Amino acid sequence: MPPTAEAIHSPGSAGAPHRAPVFEVRGLARVFGEGTAAVTALAGVDLDLFAGELIVLLGASGSGKSTLLNQLGGLDSPTQGTLRYRGWNLGVADEAALTQFRRNAVGFVFQAYNLIPSLTARENVALITEICRDPMTPEAALDLVGLGARLDHFPAQLSGGEQQRVAIARAIAKRPEVLLCDEPTGALDVKTGITVLEAIERINGELGTLAVIITHNAILADMADRVFTLSDGRIVNARTNAHRGSVRDLAW
Amino acid sequence: MPLLDRKLLRDLRSLKTQALAVALVMACGLAMMITTRSLMLSLTAARDGYYRENRFAQVFARLKRAPNAVREQLAAIPGVATVETGLALQVTLDVPGLAEPATGLFNSLPERGAPVLNRPYLRAGRLPEAQSGGALAELAVGEAFAEAHGLRPGDTVSAVLNGRKQKFLLTGIVLSPEFIFEAPPGAALPDNKTYGVFWAPYKELATAFQLYGGFNSVALTLAPDVAEEAVLAAVDRLLAPYGGRGTYGRNNHPSDRRLTDELRVLKALSFAFPLVFLSVAAFMVNSVMARQVALQREQIAMLKACGFSNAQVGAHYLKFALVIVAGGVVLGTAGGLFLGGKFVDLYHIFFRFPALRFQPDLPALGTAAAASALAALAGVAGAVQRAVQLPPAEAMRPEAPASYRPAWFERLRIARWLGPSSRMALRNIRRRPARSALTCLALALATGILILPNAMRDGIAHVLDFQWDVVQRQTVTVMLAEPQAARVLADFQHLPGVVLAEPFRSVPVELRSGPQVRRLALQGLPARGSLDRVIDGHPAQLTLPERGLIISAKLAEVLHVQPGDPLTIRPLEGEARDLVVPLAGLADDFAGVAAYMELGAVNRLLLEGDRVNGAHLTVAAGEWDTFLRALKATPQIAGCYVKNSLREGFRATTAESIGLLQKMYATFAAIVAFGIIYNSARISLSERARELATLRVLGFTRREVGAVLVGELVLLTLSALPLGLLVGTQLARAIVTTVSTETVRLPLVLTTANYAFAVAVVATASALSAWLAARKIAGLDLAGALKALD
Repeated sequence: MPPTAEAIHSPGSAGAPHRAPVFEVRGLARVFGEGTAAVTALAGVDLDLFAGELIVLLGASGSGKSTLLNQLGGLDSPTQGTLRYRGWNLGVADEAALTQFRRNAVGFVFQAYNLIPSLTARENVALITEICRDPMTPEAALDLVGLGARLDHFPAQLSGGEQQRVAIARAIAKRPEVLLCDEPTGALDVKTGITVLEAIERINGELGTLAVIITHNAILADMADRVFTLSDGRIVNARTNAHRGSVRDLAW
Repeated sequence: MPLLDRKLLRDLRSLKTQALAVALVMACGLAMMITTRSLMLSLTAARDGYYRENRFAQVFARLKRAPNAVREQLAAIPGVATVETGLALQVTLDVPGLAEPATGLFNSLPERGAPVLNRPYLRAGRLPEAQSGGALAELAVGEAFAEAHGLRPGDTVSAVLNGRKQKFLLTGIVLSPEFIFEAPPGAALPDNKTYGVFWAPYKELATAFQLYGGFNSVALTLAPDVAEEAVLAAVDRLLAPYGGRGTYGRNNHPSDRRLTDELRVLKALSFAFPLVFLSVAAFMVNSVMARQVALQREQIAMLKACGFSNAQVGAHYLKFALVIVAGGVVLGTAGGLFLGGKFVDLYHIFFRFPALRFQPDLPALGTAAAASALAALAGVAGAVQRAVQLPPAEAMRPEAPASYRPAWFERLRIARWLGPSSRMALRNIRRRPARSALTCLALALATGILILPNAMRDGIAHVLDFQWDVVQRQTVTVMLAEPQAARVLADFQHLPGVVLAEPFRSVPVELRSGPQVRRLALQGLPARGSLDRVIDGHPAQLTLPERGLIISAKLAEVLHVQPGDPLTIRPLEGEARDLVVPLAGLADDFAGVAAYMELGAVNRLLLEGDRVNGAHLTVAAGEWDTFLRALKATPQIAGCYVKNSLREGFRATTAESIGLLQKMYATFAAIVAFGIIYNSARISLSERARELATLRVLGFTRREVGAVLVGELVLLTLSALPLGLLVGTQLARAIVTTVSTETVRLPLVLTTANYAFAVAVVATASALSAWLAARKIAGLDLAGALKALD
């Protein structure tokens, strides 16, 4: 079922209908390699994403959802099409500009947490708050994810869920406009996964951060404002949830 | 090619710079070992062959004059196998193109037949023959002097023989096993411009000096298994009535001793340094391989899961190390042979052999290669064993995350100001203390190695400036053919340009303290002269006491005596008897060993009244040429040493060899510093690729991530540098002590410039290699950092 234009270009319930989009994606394509060895990861994606929205990207592995996330996060540049962030053409930005973009506007949450093992929870967050423009304190960020009591623990002394929440605290401490989460619960059991998703939900709600979550898990779709399904580098399904469910209420 | 080997080649290609860094460090150690061992072999082989072929004597004696009949008595001494007697006389030469008079040691060739011992080796032309009638007398010249003056057979030189100037025709260029090291008596370095060795027919030499029918020089060989001491004593007794000036064995022969000293220095250098380099290389192999095995954990698991045996997997990684060793051996051998060849060329300045061919010491090469291989294998063994012992299923899983703790010093108040990058660096060092310590140690060694050659250079500069400006302030030293009454000093004072003249009396003596004996020339000097001064270690001028002796500190060490101890002086010429005197003080000198006494005391010892053998003179610069002309025309002068000529010779010869050494050590140290830092940075980059890529994703710039990567190395380098200065100081002290021989010594001179240079080279090499490694940050896979580990 091809996606409807309305679902792609209109904000979900959380967004006000007439605001300018945070991301404006038009005909975005990414091809790896050349000639016969060329692999098309994204084959023309159109998308508008608005502030305060919670977006879930679904798709099998190889569908292009990670490539799309990398493009949104300024980790990679498109082969074709345009990618605008707040009207600024991200697709043609140079390395230094992309670094500044990641530093100030984007928070990343990785499936494997990617904490620095030699730094404590507080220091992992402080690492980022030191380099960005208008951060909250590391303690405040860790408080937001419910880790105020484990500030001085090293990653190896924390459980997987705790580590992921440190990673979220690290991502949000800079008050990013965009929170990009790549399978944030992929390595966690259901119970811990819920606490992590609650943290994301809370940040999205309280700070009005645009959150984009990649997942295999279709159940998460119910917590989103809008859900996109990718296949073969295209958006094959887009839907807007009339009513966004809370993480607790999802059908685990 | 088996596929595993193909994998090996491809893995090596991706590690090529690191493998090269390790191979280069290993090559430095091997090159140094091959160079020194091969030089030892080349020198020993050349010396032994030369001694055998040209029948170098075992016992030597000098005397005033004995009739030829004494020869039979010498041959009759039990244990003596062969006797050769002849004349050896010091004369003044007038060489075209040389302003100052040169000194020649004229040796006689037997009247009939070839010499039985110390046979000259003819390099060019023919040996001189006795001439009759008005024909020009003939002479053969030593190669070193001939080369220094461009002399060829057919040229002529003038010499003053017993006060009469005479012209000679050069018939040949000659070498002799007695003069492999062709230097003036007591000199540490050759001075081929002003000192040469010559051979003339006995008859002409004897006639000129009114010594016909007699001899003043003896050479002996001994029958097998004869105790040398007994023969020396017997020869001494026999020659005493003929003005015997002492008998000595090869161990006191100036040329042989200089060669032995050189071999001792080479031996000291052939072990310690290569060991340092090979140890550093083994450590590097270990760190590279441990990392490689950790990176290929999953591959190892896959290989084992697919049915490869532990032995096959183990062998694969051992081969990895062996390829690196092979590279090191090839580079090291090539480097060693090249440097060895260079040094052999350099040795030609110091040591004259009919042929000094570079002979690679192949057994040493084999040993060194085997040692490197063993060191590398020992380095790899642990890592490989860990890999093959893992059950495949477990090895398929990624390694558990590293666990960290705060370092102890973070409890200190100061730690609060540390940024996250410094904390990461400190905790990484804390987590791998052994590896950090070894990296630090290797860098310290690189720093230390750099200090050594400059310490030697500064030591030599010190000898040049201190010894020859502070100690010996004369312009020229002139020697008389025979001791003369002290009033001859007035004649010297009247030579044109002479500002100041101070006499000396030099006499061969034997110094004895218990069983320790040394023979040398005792110098009689004015009590507190202003030209040739006796200086102690402070440095301050010593006043020669009326009673008592001052000797070189090194000689005191050899004789095991301290100031206040008694020493027995036995003059080796004249009628005087033994005299026991106290050791009054120690002189700090650097070339040869010396003993000083007040001039009057020496004359009292010799029971021969006020006599001198020569004088130290200062000459006004403006009248130098006039002075030299007058000097050449003064017949009773047997020779002279011009200080500046000696100094120039010293500078030319040692500057070249020290320069080569310095370049070698600097290159090697830079290679070690570069290799260690590059290797550490690359391993760090590999181990922390994910962490660093995460930082990049989180918005760190390349420069900031680079700072995190090299922060640890900067800390290690900073702590290594002071340690390195300490290591270098000790290393220089150890080497200066080792190379400190009775013929040459160096003071330990360590300057700020030396330390600064070492720090600068290591810091630059470190910075450069860290920069090269940090450039790899650009290639980090940012998108990959987002992916899950499994």
